[in-house]
Amino acid sequence: MRNNRLHRAFTALPFVALPGGASAEFESIVEKVEDPAAGFDHLWFEVMVDITIIGVIFALLALYFLFRYRRRSPGEEGTQKPLSNLNIIGWALIPAFVFMADDFYMAAKGWQLYDTYRRVPENSLEVKLESAMWTWDYTYPNGVKTYNELRVPAGQPVVLRMTSRDTIHSHFIPDFRIKEDSMPGRVTYMWFYPQKPGEHIVSCAEYCGQLHSRMYGKVIVMPRGEFDSWYQAEAAKLDVKLTKLSDNRGAGQK
Amino acid sequence: MSVLKEWIFTTDHKKVGLLYLIGSMAAFAFAGFSALMMRAELSSIGPTITNNPGDYNVWLYFHGAAMILGFQIPALTGFLANYLVPLQIGAKDVAFPRINALSVWLFYMGLILALLTFVVPDPPDVMWTGYPPYSTITFANTALYTFTVLLLGFASILGGVNFLTTIAFMRAPGIGWNQLNMFTWCTFAAFILQLIFVPVLGTAVTLISLDKYLGTHFFDPSSGGDVLVYQNLFWFYSHPAVYVILLPFIGIVFDIVATFARNRIFNYKAAVYGGVGGILLLAGEVWIHHLYVTGMPDWIRVGQMVTTLLISIPVGLLFISLVGTLYKGSISFETPMLYALSVVFLMLIGGLTGIPLAIVSLTLHVSDTYYIPGHFHYVMAVAGTFAIFGGVYYLFPKFTGKMYNEFVGKLAFWITFVGVNVIFFPMMIVGVTEGMPRRYWDYAQFPGAEPYQYWMTVGAAIIGVGFLLVLFNWIHALFAGPKAGNNPWGSRSLEWTTTSPPLDHGNWEEVPKIEEGWGPYEYGTEKT
Amino acid sequence: MSNHAHAHEHGPILTPWPLVISIGILAMIPLAFIFKFSYHNSFAAILSLGIGAPLCIIGVIGWVREAIGGDELSQGLGFGAMGWFILAEALIFLPGFATYWVLRLSAESWPPPGSVDMPQLMPVIMTVVLVSSSLTIHKAEGLLEAGDVAGFRKWLAATMLLGLSFLLMSIYEWNHLFHLGFTIDVNVFSSSFFSLTGLHGSHVFVGLGIFLAIMIPAMSGKINHTFVRTGSLYWHFVDIIWFFVVSQLYFW
Ligand code: HEA
Ligand code: HEA
Ligand code: CUA
Ligand SMILES: [Cu+2]
Repeated sequence: MRNNRLHRAFTALPFVALPGGASAEFESIVEKVEDPAAGFDHLWFEVMVDITIIGVIFALLALYFLFRYRRRSPGEEGTQKPLSNLNIIGWALIPAFVFMADDFYMAAKGWQLYDTYRRVPENSLEVKLESAMWTWDYTYPNGVKTYNELRVPAGQPVVLRMTSRDTIHSHFIPDFRIKEDSMPGRVTYMWFYPQKPGEHIVSCAEYCGQLHSRMYGKVIVMPRGEFDSWYQAEAAKLDVKLTKLSDNRGAGQK
Repeated sequence: MSVLKEWIFTTDHKKVGLLYLIGSMAAFAFAGFSALMMRAELSSIGPTITNNPGDYNVWLYFHGAAMILGFQIPALTGFLANYLVPLQIGAKDVAFPRINALSVWLFYMGLILALLTFVVPDPPDVMWTGYPPYSTITFANTALYTFTVLLLGFASILGGVNFLTTIAFMRAPGIGWNQLNMFTWCTFAAFILQLIFVPVLGTAVTLISLDKYLGTHFFDPSSGGDVLVYQNLFWFYSHPAVYVILLPFIGIVFDIVATFARNRIFNYKAAVYGGVGGILLLAGEVWIHHLYVTGMPDWIRVGQMVTTLLISIPVGLLFISLVGTLYKGSISFETPMLYALSVVFLMLIGGLTGIPLAIVSLTLHVSDTYYIPGHFHYVMAVAGTFAIFGGVYYLFPKFTGKMYNEFVGKLAFWITFVGVNVIFFPMMIVGVTEGMPRRYWDYAQFPGAEPYQYWMTVGAAIIGVGFLLVLFNWIHALFAGPKAGNNPWGSRSLEWTTTSPPLDHGNWEEVPKIEEGWGPYEYGTEKT
Repeated sequence: MSNHAHAHEHGPILTPWPLVISIGILAMIPLAFIFKFSYHNSFAAILSLGIGAPLCIIGVIGWVREAIGGDELSQGLGFGAMGWFILAEALIFLPGFATYWVLRLSAESWPPPGSVDMPQLMPVIMTVVLVSSSLTIHKAEGLLEAGDVAGFRKWLAATMLLGLSFLLMSIYEWNHLFHLGFTIDVNVFSSSFFSLTGLHGSHVFVGLGIFLAIMIPAMSGKINHTFVRTGSLYWHFVDIIWFFVVSQLYFW
């Protein structure tokens, strides 16, 4: 599972010098759809390496100074001289530009990935989500409804249009590296790309009261064919229900 | 009786400062206690010590609110600022001693309200962020939250008015802006932030109580309100608030490091005008990074990703000055210095782990997971707390005239140092790899998180022991410590020129004359 | 150093009033509100109001009597400090207005259903009254500088009268709107309207309190110039805020 790769990214940090820790498992790009989750793992690793290097430089320098300039006799004082004006400016501007360069580099990378996260592929399956204390209610395009269980076909992107009945919740699917709040009065969206059949936890990530921690469900990724037959069967049940309903209503009006 | 009167009727900045210390330590102890309860509950899957999630939510609410508003901000801008600033600028007191007393008593009233959480029926369970609509529809007592924030906030505004005036107008003749201690500078900046941003928080929390109790519709979408307005107002304050904590704590760390390295601040001007000034400029333009997953428009999210990342520049300048101060120093390692130095490393971890959070696409996964508590406990709960404890140790001989026990001090330091890493590093890992969300009373759906949670609880127990030892050391020294000299650390800064403890009223018999070329960090020159 | 000798004669300032006021505030506002609205216990609410309000008043009186002589180290700094305080005050109003703007600009139609036609004449009169009170306090200040204490008292009294009539007109106005069925819980406009005018009104009230604290000692000739200048600065600020309130809520 993807978790393992992240795990490795974390534990591999001390050994960033060893090349290719993450790239070994590079997936062949068969699909046209860019998977933000894979992009996340990649960028996460890169940023971890970046900040580790910065942190280690500062830490080592500090440790070296601590050792090198430890006090040797009680009366001793430090001997640093005041900086010249040129030095003052240089020691401010040069690091500032170096930091800024790194910031802009990361911002650019982050933006790129963010674009992927926010641009919904054309052929997505669009599902409506209404959250409430404490349930996830999904509505498919053909009217099928499910609760706390989102069944999707493997190989097709899924987009959720989300809103909420009461308070704010956040639809979080750790395996797909994505969450977005759902709240009353607004429609938010998120999309993800389930590629292989399997089950993934959905858990609420915005505090919503007593049972916040028990507000979870599943994304069930099914093989295409299986999904289609499930979908049609549910739709058929729905049709029956609907006709029954309208029968009753018709009867009532007579 | 007269001793009691001397304390509760006091307007002396030193006594007011110590009152702030006592209050904020009480808040720390209570909030730490509720952290231990939380940790006990989380140590394993399933109900562990309570099967009512409501209990957990109340502990967490109290923990967050009391730690930030009741412990850190008052300890830094109440205790340290009150005790140190007038001494560092050679003033006999603050500008408005009565207002200072009003400020500390309002703080105590705020604490009383906060502690009522444990006794009233339906205590607040709205988390320290108090987001509506939950806070307006819960049956719990949101008003208690509102008024706790208002009282503590008002105390802070009064402090701000006082200290900005004091620092601007009451410096002893001869002390220019470029001769101020780093701590004084940082306090000045922190209070500017408080003065600008606290009122916004005050309005925000007032509006939720209006919505809940008087039927207004500010945050109620069914009548034209908007739930995100509150979050914007709240973080418009609460992001700058993290710099209200960061600035004074890095300021005291600067002072301690300079004293124990007996060295000049490396590139003082860059640290002050670039570092402190830069933070002041940027602090108010980054709050959206707390709303990355709330459906704010994309262009705002991307824009504030850039401003958030840019904060690394001023903080980085402060770091260069901090590490540079060690260069060619003469470094000794007493307890205050150990705390201050550890802040450098812990703050590196905490600050740098804020960088992935600033990148909006990465936050889509880690927001509201345990990675977030990991980040902010490192930078605030650990770096900040260690800076405060370092500050108390540093000033201990000054305000008591007694010396604490060095061995116990160092032992307690190492115990807590190990403890905090055992608890807060796993938090970050479990947040990213397992996706374990925060504010969970139970986590049956994340079985992989259990071992991490277990070790965090172990870490918390270790910290608890460490802090008890600290408390023991202080209390013991207060009654039985050996006498401390006026300037036990050999500092050149003004606060060490008074007696220990300083004169009750006026601090000095006569305020020291400031010679041409004097500075608090002019080490390695002829002593005058 | 004369200052120093002075301090020793009197010893450190010990004063009970900050503590008294703090307890008063705690009882008067948070506790009373919580009793009334969270626990629906009106008796306890009134009780704690009844304890808190007198404590606040006693505290303020005691404080003013002590401080009017001007033993503070900070003679003359009060004016600058009021500048900082006004910055904070302005930022209490700003988010209120910002909320109103956001809600208004994102609304489908404005005014939202349930609103009534805003009166047009009353706000103009109120504006005139408040502006003239700013002029009168300015005049009073000028007379005080020139040493004319009697004149100062007269113009200060005029200011207070104007301020008071402003408050009375506000109350009349609110009452009028209540009768039209426009109460705070009708819609987002009424929410904003009553919150902002209420917030402003409470500032007028505090301003009047400050003037009262200047006036009473001034009757027996005790006047602290910094205090007067500070109070008048605050009053001008309250006046300026009113322009925002009236233009945004009545005439937009
Ligand atoms: C003292 C407190 C403090 C401080 C100083 C910071 C500092 C920073 N914080 Fe943190 N933060 C909190 C306390 C703090 N934070 C709290 C309490 C929360 C959670 C609140 C809640 O939801 O309950 C939070 C949450 C939080 C979030 C929201 C996460 C979410 O909820 O989704 C983000 C996102 O951007 C963030 C980012 C940052 C950044 C970029 C910094 C930067 O200021 C860090 C800058 C420092 C460095 C970068 C290290 C030193 C610099 C160098 C060595 C120079 C070179 C470096 C580079 C070029 C990168 N923080
Ligand atoms: C400064 C702030 C601060 C500090 C110091 C701490 C300290 C600690 N925090 Fe805190 N924490 C927050 C601020 C802080 N926290 C905030 C803002 C949140 C988010 C709240 C929210 O989600 O709304 C949070 C959330 C939070 C969580 C997340 C819970 C969740 O999301 O479900 C956890 C979980 O383990 C936790 C644990 C701890 C622990 C174990 C400590 C330990 O370090 C505590 C150690 C202290 C003690 C054990 C007390 C011991 C003292 C004595 C024995 C007496 C000695 C007295 C003296 C020395 C005077 N905290
Ligand atoms: Cu729904 Cu948390
Ligand atoms: Cu922030």
